[in-house]
Amino acid sequence: MSYKSIIETHDLTKRYGNFEAVHALNLKIAGPGITGFLGRNGAGKSTTIKMLLDMTHPTAGTGTVLGRSIGDPASNREMRRQVAYVAEDKQLYAYMTVEQLIRFTKSFYTDWRADVERHLLKRYQLPMRRKVKALSKGMRTKLALLLALSRRPALLILDEPSEGLDPVSIEELLQSLVAAAAEGTTVFFSSHQIAEVERIADRVCIVDHGKLAMDLSLDDIRQDYRRITLGFAAQPPSDDFHMQGIEQIRTSGRQVVVLASHNADAIVERARSLEAVSVDVAPISLREVFLDTVKENDALV
Amino acid sequence: MLWYKAWRESQARFLLSALAIAGLCAAFVVFHREGMLSVEDGHLTYIGYIWRITYKTYLRELFAILVLLLGVGGLLRERAYGTAGFTLALPVSRLGLIWARAGVGFLEVAALSFLPALVIPALSPFVHQSYPWTQALQFGALWTVGGALIFTMGFLASVIFASEYSAPVAALLILLLYSVIADLPFLERYPVDIHDIMSGVGMRYFQPNTSLLTGPLPWTALAVILLIVCGLIALAGRITQQQDF
Repeated sequence: MSYKSIIETHDLTKRYGNFEAVHALNLKIAGPGITGFLGRNGAGKSTTIKMLLDMTHPTAGTGTVLGRSIGDPASNREMRRQVAYVAEDKQLYAYMTVEQLIRFTKSFYTDWRADVERHLLKRYQLPMRRKVKALSKGMRTKLALLLALSRRPALLILDEPSEGLDPVSIEELLQSLVAAAAEGTTVFFSSHQIAEVERIADRVCIVDHGKLAMDLSLDDIRQDYRRITLGFAAQPPSDDFHMQGIEQIRTSGRQVVVLASHNADAIVERARSLEAVSVDVAPISLREVFLDTVKENDALV
Repeated sequence: MLWYKAWRESQARFLLSALAIAGLCAAFVVFHREGMLSVEDGHLTYIGYIWRITYKTYLRELFAILVLLLGVGGLLRERAYGTAGFTLALPVSRLGLIWARAGVGFLEVAALSFLPALVIPALSPFVHQSYPWTQALQFGALWTVGGALIFTMGFLASVIFASEYSAPVAALLILLLYSVIADLPFLERYPVDIHDIMSGVGMRYFQPNTSLLTGPLPWTALAVILLIVCGLIALAGRITQQQDF
């Protein structure tokens, strides 16, 4: 089934007393592919995910996942048949064995794929008769992924999936996500680990202070985003850099640093016309985009 | 499968409760001579002794605490353990989760209620005594309904109070408060004290002289209690639907 957008929110807001965890969030994930939901701790990532899955009720705003309203419990329940979720701490029922938990989970889904279950069991080497409470966090993550992926869900949502995992487990996790996306599942995962988002995501939504600060494709960053450092002999011109493609400008003494999302050549030409004595154009990483974005937000708050 | 989950979550508490109740019943029967001697009333019959020690005092009080604790659990506890996210991501409604847990709980309460009815009449012949099966089964029915109400107090407390200790403590306080209010003089003429309904004390269907249930059970009162129980579970469902996890 094709959807206009996999996830869409309009002014989605969540307040806890005076604290606003999510503020008028407008998110649009078209899918397919992998979208990283990047933000600092406490940025509102988990709260957003919980609102999408009806675990937390929005204070204001609306949203749809797979074309179904997130605010209507019955509609949300139907949506969850096609959505798999892996929670941040990956806690599962400690009193069940791996086998019992698989049997329990599969009973809720008519589209359960026994072949995928067998394949993942073999790949992850999960001990069927061991109780969940006796599994390491890495094993629990693998089990949670098995439960999520054995249905080939339309959408896989993961909240900080690599949190607390060792490097080998992280690698296996990322490979599983890439494989799931290759088979047509849209993957939406929150993280504050920039390197892993940069490695596997096609698109990144940066959320900060509960607001969507940036929504861009990783290819755009690689191809079009540039950091342009300009040196001037005298005081740099202050108001002459309002051009298309400029996301941020920082002035420090006689130096101006411009973050450009596109139009870098025109910006350089403009700088030269303003008698810049040095011009340095460099590609920019997601890390730099992220840090620039949150720093700017901190300055505004 | 939600029933399976509810069963697995309460399994240990239920089995321990069953063991405690069955063990105590067996001890009361086996050591009935010593038990009867310790009671001041020298004319106490075996039936009177069983009623007093089981249905009136010790076992009934223990039963009340055990079923109260059986009611504790649910999504707030799951949030504390970190499994609420997994449960709520399943394509099931919160009301479905509530009713499954309540349903399993009521079955467990019923099983615990009828446990003395199995153990006491079955063991009595081994100590050359007898206790009527009909009496034991009727008390089982009274305990099932009374136990359901007490279970619901624990159930309700556990959807309001999240922490591991506050829910059982709150449940005990609710039970205590209810017991005090039900004992108030102006309420004595109404069948509102669940402890009295369960033991038969002061009820028309119970003969204190023989310690036997003689009249028909108070079916109307029992039906009203069950309606109240359903109402309280529905309230717990309503509260759960509004909560953030």
